[in-house]
Amino acid sequence: MLTSVFIAAVSLCLFWMAAFTLWWQMHAWRTPEVLASTRFGRPDGAEHLSFSLLLPARHEQAVLDHTIQRLLESTHTDFEIIVIVGHDDPETTAVAEEAAGRDPRVRVVVDTHEKKNKPKAMNTALPHCRGDVVGVFDAEDQVHPELLAHVDHAFRTTGADVVQGGVQLINFHSSWYSLRNCLEYFFWFRSRLHLHAQKGFIPLGGNTVFVRTDVLREADGWDPDCLAEDCDLGVRLSSVGKKVVVAYDSDMVTREETPGSLMSLLKQRTRWNQGFLQVYRKKDWRQLPGFGQRLLARYTLMTPFLQAFSGVIIPLNAAVALFLDVPVGIAFLTFLPLVTAAVTFVFEVVGLHDFGRQYGLRVRLVHYVKLIVGGPFYQVLLAGAAIRAVWREQRGRNDWELTSHVGAHLTAAEPIREDVPA
Amino acid sequence: MTSTLPAVTGATVPAQRRPAPTSPSSGRTEPPARLRSSRPDLLLCGVLLAAILVVQGWNIAAYPTLSDDEGTYLAQAWAVQEGRGLAHYTYWYDHPPLGWIQIALLTWIPSALSPDSMTVGAMRITMLVISGISAVLVYVLGRRLSLPRWAAGLGMALFGLSPLAVVLSREIFLDNIAVMWLLLAFCLAASPSRHLWHHFGAGLAAAAGVLTKETMLVVLPALFVTMWRHSHRDTRKFALTGAVTACALIGLSYPLFALLKGELFPGSGHVSLLEGVNYQMSRPGSGFVLDPDSGSHGVLHSWLYYDRVLPLGGLAGALLLILTWRWSVTARAFAGPALAVAVLAAVAMRPDGYLPAMYVIGALPFLALVLAGGTASVAHAVLRRWRAEGEKRAVSAARYALAAVLALAAGAYVVPHWYDGNRTALTADANKPYRQASHWLAGRVDDPGHTRVLVDDALWLDLVHAGYRPGLGAIWFYKADLDPAVTRTMPHGWRDLDYVVASPTVRRDAKDLPNVRAAIEHSTPVATFGTGDDRIEIRRIGAATAGGAR
Repeated sequence: MLTSVFIAAVSLCLFWMAAFTLWWQMHAWRTPEVLASTRFGRPDGAEHLSFSLLLPARHEQAVLDHTIQRLLESTHTDFEIIVIVGHDDPETTAVAEEAAGRDPRVRVVVDTHEKKNKPKAMNTALPHCRGDVVGVFDAEDQVHPELLAHVDHAFRTTGADVVQGGVQLINFHSSWYSLRNCLEYFFWFRSRLHLHAQKGFIPLGGNTVFVRTDVLREADGWDPDCLAEDCDLGVRLSSVGKKVVVAYDSDMVTREETPGSLMSLLKQRTRWNQGFLQVYRKKDWRQLPGFGQRLLARYTLMTPFLQAFSGVIIPLNAAVALFLDVPVGIAFLTFLPLVTAAVTFVFEVVGLHDFGRQYGLRVRLVHYVKLIVGGPFYQVLLAGAAIRAVWREQRGRNDWELTSHVGAHLTAAEPIREDVPA
Repeated sequence: MTSTLPAVTGATVPAQRRPAPTSPSSGRTEPPARLRSSRPDLLLCGVLLAAILVVQGWNIAAYPTLSDDEGTYLAQAWAVQEGRGLAHYTYWYDHPPLGWIQIALLTWIPSALSPDSMTVGAMRITMLVISGISAVLVYVLGRRLSLPRWAAGLGMALFGLSPLAVVLSREIFLDNIAVMWLLLAFCLAASPSRHLWHHFGAGLAAAAGVLTKETMLVVLPALFVTMWRHSHRDTRKFALTGAVTACALIGLSYPLFALLKGELFPGSGHVSLLEGVNYQMSRPGSGFVLDPDSGSHGVLHSWLYYDRVLPLGGLAGALLLILTWRWSVTARAFAGPALAVAVLAAVAMRPDGYLPAMYVIGALPFLALVLAGGTASVAHAVLRRWRAEGEKRAVSAARYALAAVLALAAGAYVVPHWYDGNRTALTADANKPYRQASHWLAGRVDDPGHTRVLVDDALWLDLVHAGYRPGLGAIWFYKADLDPAVTRTMPHGWRDLDYVVASPTVRRDAKDLPNVRAAIEHSTPVATFGTGDDRIEIRRIGAATAGGAR
């Protein structure tokens, strides 16, 4: 009897968790109108804002120049690029200085912190920003030339304080986990983030994010001690009622690539999870006015851990139902979370198809198979990262783990700091 | 304050900038975004609903004749309520149990207030809830398929007031409940907001319909077509796969249930889902429906006896809509219901299929809708088509005159027929013999607790309330030959029984049931109620030899 009650309670709890996550994940496709509203408005040609684009680069001499060149191709007329390099990184500094010499819109700021990380670098550059809006990109990003014009338009037409553009991992064919990783980004930026914007609580992404300079200065920039400074900034700004707007256009997203190895993905995810945990513990989200908003905040920041938990519990629960002698009604309940998991799987398959369509990529049958078969293993990876994050946080280890990846557009396999948008 | 692009000050995201293209429509009256807040719709729907409830509810217990199937479903619902399992005898996967689980829920409160009222006649009243909901859903669906108000009302009236529908909706049939779920699924599929979760819900409702009565499976393609037409290109693949997944996953719960009970596959000593499915698939055919000598023809005839307008008019309406597909907006909007009618008609036309009497229930709402749609289409053609800007007044007047003549002619044909049919339904008492038999068995048998009676399910619950032992005292007559758990208690065959209540159903099927046949042959009538073929005889089995193992 007690077993039955316990199993039923766990099952229902898991079911509601999975159902809510699914509901949010599918936000953008709820109605055609919602889907249409997630896109950028067509720019009207007028440009009124000036941009300061921050480009923190560390040991990224191989890709930095290409990224700067591409940013300079932007159609917008009023922007500056501030490349932030470390004082101990002469190679990258040389590339940056060279670019600055070629084009007056490029400036170089040197970060002299002894222990370096991305928020410290950006805080160093913040006083040098002259634009109305600060934008953040990573050194390996491929930015669309018309993005700034669209963002300009979005700021003006919506009165936003923050505009978050889309970021998309593209190399889904590289490995089984990159497939899932790409799809995660797809659902997050295409759909879920819009829900957060609508609800007034949003963990921002690490790049393609634009903040009004005065708002950013008022908020004292980024938290230098947080492992997910991007998420933290979003939480702090939305908690005090700043207006955040999200827009996603498949041809306007910033393209990135997945980490080059399973280990670096694990490290990246650990840092992300630990960052979420730190943001949760900072309690800025408690200032949110609505109870529902606070609940959403709590849930979102805890997601990695709930995910890890449910990944372990769901199969266990179903096994209990099958092999232990429980009443049929209770056994039925234990299948509920499995049903939501199945629905999620199906929507992921459809999402992969849509992803292929949107980006003109050929998704083959083998990719769908990989998506399904890889699902449970990816769960294990996520669970591992979540557990690792808790362990590191407990031990007080909150340094940045550097991760490396082999870029599709890179020739040298230099260690590069991979940044993860939340 | 944060928001999605572009600036919106509420939690809702209205259509903007790139408004999703509207569904195909032309000069027709568009249904309001929310029927709930449209006063004329509420008024019309409310008036019709009241009329339907009165016509269907009045005299509901006395007409039509109680059927064995109704009794079976209600007895199974009773077993669910009493915690005796899924049926009053061993549940053998003849139908998915969801149908009578819902009947058990519906009758829960009345039977708790008055346990003796758990009999077929008294509990028919709960079917009013189902038919009321279904009638409203027909109206909503009509409006969502962009019918003008009057035509949606016509569809609702056809569905609720046709004498055929009145008779069948009164009976406690699983099909009635399944139809309600299917209508809900269609309404959700045609949701004007084209919401992902509405379509998902349509899949869930469709699964509930199929699990209520498995024959609803054949209507699912029509539901799919409706959903396809009403979804938007940009979100269609998510909506449709979501709906199909929802339907499949819920539908799979039935085999899962069997698996959990260890009854999915055949084995010795237990029933199984596969055997149940096999039985249903291999039921002896009732012949080609157009062959005058076949059983199917008899069934068709029995439907047409009550009403010709809805079945034949509906078929004609479906044909008209399919033929005018290219030119008529209404025809395209009604692709789903018209397809449902076509599929159901095609299935009924199988040369040697089994055609049960309640088969037509699944088609009634769709027949009503396509007939209303066809009427709207004709009305549009007469009143609006080829109408120039400055049409002469005489031509306009002629149009309206023609429309009025057509309406009057239709009314002149339909109203007298329906009046007769419904007057019978409102006044006739077809169940007096049953009530008398029930009364006799309750009062004139000395020791019900130790008396064994063969009876059809229409009276089974009456006997249980009168003190007979459920199952082995009051015995559903089929079980005396077909259920090992019952025949085991009758080592001496008919000699172990005391009475047989020879109702028309019992007499009809006794020829295939040796024990029942023997019981009738070795018994003499002690009371007879009614006359002719409809009479009910209570026959006492040979007094000297009766009463073996009890």
